[in-house]
Amino acid sequence: MKIPTPIITLIVGVALAASLLFSSMTAVSAKKAAIAAASASAAANTGAVSTATAAATSTASAAQPTGVGASATTARSPSASPSPTPSLGFVIPPHANYDGEVQGDEGMVAVVVHDNFAIAYFCNGSTQQAWFKGTPHDGKLSMTGLNHASLTANYALGHARGTVVVDGISHIFSIIAVHKPSGLFESIAVVRGATIKAGWIVLADGAQVGSLEPNANSADPSAHAAPKLDVSSLTAQDGGTTLVATPIDAETGSGF
Amino acid sequence: MAAQWEPPAPTRLDPIQPDPSARLLVVPALVGCLVALTLGLYGRLHSPTGVAVDIVGFSSPATVKAWLATVAVVFALVQMGSSLVMYGKVPWISAPPWIGGLHRWSGRIAFIVTVIVAVHCLYALGFESFNARVLVHSIAGCLFFGTFTVKMLALTRRGMPGWVLPVLGGLAFALLVVIWFTSAFWFFSIFGFRR
Repeated sequence: MKIPTPIITLIVGVALAASLLFSSMTAVSAKKAAIAAASASAAANTGAVSTATAAATSTASAAQPTGVGASATTARSPSASPSPTPSLGFVIPPHANYDGEVQGDEGMVAVVVHDNFAIAYFCNGSTQQAWFKGTPHDGKLSMTGLNHASLTANYALGHARGTVVVDGISHIFSIIAVHKPSGLFESIAVVRGATIKAGWIVLADGAQVGSLEPNANSADPSAHAAPKLDVSSLTAQDGGTTLVATPIDAETGSGF
Repeated sequence: MAAQWEPPAPTRLDPIQPDPSARLLVVPALVGCLVALTLGLYGRLHSPTGVAVDIVGFSSPATVKAWLATVAVVFALVQMGSSLVMYGKVPWISAPPWIGGLHRWSGRIAFIVTVIVAVHCLYALGFESFNARVLVHSIAGCLFFGTFTVKMLALTRRGMPGWVLPVLGGLAFALLVVIWFTSAFWFFSIFGFRR
């Protein structure tokens, strides 16, 4: 029996979809194993994240102070062969602060972990932005934000990797640990009944990006570019309103 | 006492005789509905992974999808043009013998490209409704594959009314353009025209 060509077209489409779906599913588990292996090797030589990221910024090579403590007290040997179980060979800092650009220059993302809480922020310095909250679990983060925004990440000493979905677009990121005065900053002010919420991400090299929601409590808040944050005074001038920013700080837990 | 209301005696109506050829569309239409519904339910119930494909040469997964969608729309324009020529709607062009092949192959390429994008959409992002853009995009995406299925199945049946293929083709094209405007066009307008 000869199969009509339109049916063949449909069959090819279904077969392609099935194979793509299958490879996506296997890619997810392969990626997880790769991240576990990379984190294990990064943990083995504490401090040096990788030659590439360490060269990118001088602060990257300095590991989180508490992270060093954690690696000293951890019973697991960092030199043990990388195991597919992510919890083995990992040095997971209890306090960590990461930020950097997402792939393709589409915005910046910051992830801050303080004990059992994590806060993250994505913004492109304009309309695209989202705040995330979540609970870290064994070096993994699965966070949610408004409007089905989501962020999944794996983090270890010195770096974090993951995917952030905002407004129906997924962005991939691989970011490094940062320290004051770099990091994530938030400002909430109520002006004439409207809640103004702004967020800034300051990178290790001092570059910053920020978005501002003029009415953050609405169901689908809009955003625009935030005024520049003065990192020394932690203020920004939004028209006649002075916005006072709070650092979302991994060490002190400020902003949590 | 009011007189009891008597229902009017039923008048005998001749059952409407449906055009027998249009009945051929019933099974393809049901299959198409099933396809659209399956995609929508999968997108809604499966929890999105956010995981994204990465193709060398593009700056991010979103740009890959935006460009693939644009490629699909370009081939869909070829579809539209070639079908207009085939139906003799372009008076100054007489259909060349290869026009059928052009129509079929441009359609196949456009379809395959949309499948690649759709798998990523459904697997990584899902069916969403948090604002008008994503809702329209999600619905149009499911309907597009349903409509395309109906069109493919309709092609295999002889004796359909003449309006069936132009309507289905036009519908698929219109849905694809809606999909493109609510995704790739929107993406380029937000993040700039980039590779």
